[in-house]
Amino acid sequence: MIASKKEVIKAEEGEIYDVELSEDLLKENQRLAEENKRLLNANGARAVDVMGSIGSGKTSLIEKMVQLLKNRYQIAVFKGDLTTTIDAELIARHGVETVAINTGKECHLDANLVKKALQKLDLKRINLLFIENVGNLICPAEFPLGSDKRVVVVSVTEGPYMVVKHPFIFMEADVVTVNKVDLAKAMNVDVKKLEKDVKTINPNATVVATNCRTGEGVDGVAKALGL
Amino acid sequence: MLAEAEKRGAKRVTEVQLVVGKLTFLGLEQVRFAYEVLTKGTIMEGSKLAIEEQEGIVHCSNCGYEGDFKYEDDPLYHVPVPTLKCPKCSNTVKIKAGKECTIKNIKMLV
Repeated sequence: MIASKKEVIKAEEGEIYDVELSEDLLKENQRLAEENKRLLNANGARAVDVMGSIGSGKTSLIEKMVQLLKNRYQIAVFKGDLTTTIDAELIARHGVETVAINTGKECHLDANLVKKALQKLDLKRINLLFIENVGNLICPAEFPLGSDKRVVVVSVTEGPYMVVKHPFIFMEADVVTVNKVDLAKAMNVDVKKLEKDVKTINPNATVVATNCRTGEGVDGVAKALGL
Repeated sequence: MLAEAEKRGAKRVTEVQLVVGKLTFLGLEQVRFAYEVLTKGTIMEGSKLAIEEQEGIVHCSNCGYEGDFKYEDDPLYHVPVPTLKCPKCSNTVKIKAGKECTIKNIKMLV
């Protein structure tokens, strides 16, 4: 697992030998993520990582974003899920190149899986890539993929405390969408409070209220991403 | 670690020092448990796993502050929640340390 580049120094028989390693185990993913970003940017493409709970509306957001932007950008989508290509097919029907990434058991995408998926794309033919992560508000925060921006989708149906219960992923976000706002009243959830919770943890994040069924607010998300 | 120890002709590994950032998602108890399971039957079996926790360090490009996070300490949260708000000027800070998981050194018997 660990291969130090330092020269091997021999110690005497029976001696306790203390080896300084300073090997960061999370660096490998970081390195691959930077490699992915360089490859994309060198081909004139940028990537957006879409994260959020299971059922928060990540796929719906991407579908609406694709509809909104497909005339202005050459879009491709990576769709991460444990199994099935159901969501990938939903996105593909909008006429954009879609690669399904089935992790099998892994609860998040990592830079290596994205690297493999990138090999399936003709990067010359795209300039915008959406990467939909596996539904999860915990682990994806630890694994950068090489995206230029990270979006977190949180929906009012997850209840009023979703942001404060998962602070780390919101620290990673450039844009946060509070989705399913049409159901806020029925759920007795204050959208403004969720927005305030995000801003407390990460003052730099832009918060946009959306209804990804109708497309309400989706243009705001695109704008916040500079698209 | 095992490859490193074998490369250096170790008979036994006696201690491993790990630095784990407080912002990683690693549960130290789980790390210890996994370590014990993984080292069983190898020259690392029975070795001591010393874990040093690295505090989070943030840097503010606006006022130059460098140090611990500003925490939200609402009793609702139960644990203090770190935020990216600068404790001095409320600007957004960048994380400098606390996301690492580093093998600092290995002690072995040769």
